[in-house]
Amino acid sequence: MSFFRITLHRSSIGLPERTRGVLNALGLRRRGRTVFHPVSPQFAGMIFKVKELVRVEEVEKALTKQELKASRTPDPGFYVEKARTRVDMGAGRQT
Amino acid sequence: MSRALFRSSLPELGSFSAARLRPTAAVLPFSWTTTTTRSFNSTAPIVEPVSSNNAPNPTASQVRPLALKKSHPAAPPSPIADSVKNLLPFLAAQPGHYITVHIHGFPYLVQEGDQIRLPFRMPGVLPGDVLRLNRASVIGSRDYTMKGSPHIDERVFECRATVLGVESEPLRIKIKKKRRQRRKRQAKSKHRYTILRVSELNIKNLEEAAAE
Repeated sequence: MSFFRITLHRSSIGLPERTRGVLNALGLRRRGRTVFHPVSPQFAGMIFKVKELVRVEEVEKALTKQELKASRTPDPGFYVEKARTRVDMGAGRQT
Repeated sequence: MSRALFRSSLPELGSFSAARLRPTAAVLPFSWTTTTTRSFNSTAPIVEPVSSNNAPNPTASQVRPLALKKSHPAAPPSPIADSVKNLLPFLAAQPGHYITVHIHGFPYLVQEGDQIRLPFRMPGVLPGDVLRLNRASVIGSRDYTMKGSPHIDERVFECRATVLGVESEPLRIKIKKKRRQRRKRQAKSKHRYTILRVSELNIKNLEEAAAE
């Protein structure tokens, strides 16, 4: 099953209520928001209504919110190779 | 290859494979009694089925790096490009290298011995910890530069940084005031920054890089 990956690229400010309704129905409430919807005629029609505002890709798998964030986060670029010995200073303090 | 062509070749293939299979099937029961080494060797080696629950860990004897987690398994090693193989010795031969390391996606151009003040406090580290910096985009010397696209293979270099401590900026006081009111509110902030020193920067030679 494939999905549409839809990203709102242009803001809906100043657009007719009907267009905003379509964007809301797609789940695109702010610019840059990405949503995934299954490929079906209903969603294709909705995308067609707002085709000037969104960027659409067809993907094989829908990403979860966490996966989407992970794909945008750069790699930390380091890891602790040799940690100094941690001394536990009392029960209340976490090292 | 068109589908029709492929189909036409199929029955022939099927009969061929069946003809090849039949003798081996006949040989198998015999091999127990006759024990001719040739027929035994010609069959597939018998592999004991290993249950997945207690399969031996092939890397049990190796040192497990801290960065390697089950949730982020390392990708299989890819071969080092020929251009890197040929040209890396020229870079490695020169003294005094610089490197652009990326920490959380931000570049820091440093040399060995440099001190970096990160624009944030790094959580979970204490002074004295040694960090391995494994993401770099540029390594260079006086005459040569190696650029990654976008990052350099981390097997090629070895860069370590020691955590020196935490520094803090002077207290910032911002006065917040709403219009038409005399009330003022102070917003205070005092950010902390982790200090690192680049303690080691080596360019590995190719034998070391290939061994890993």
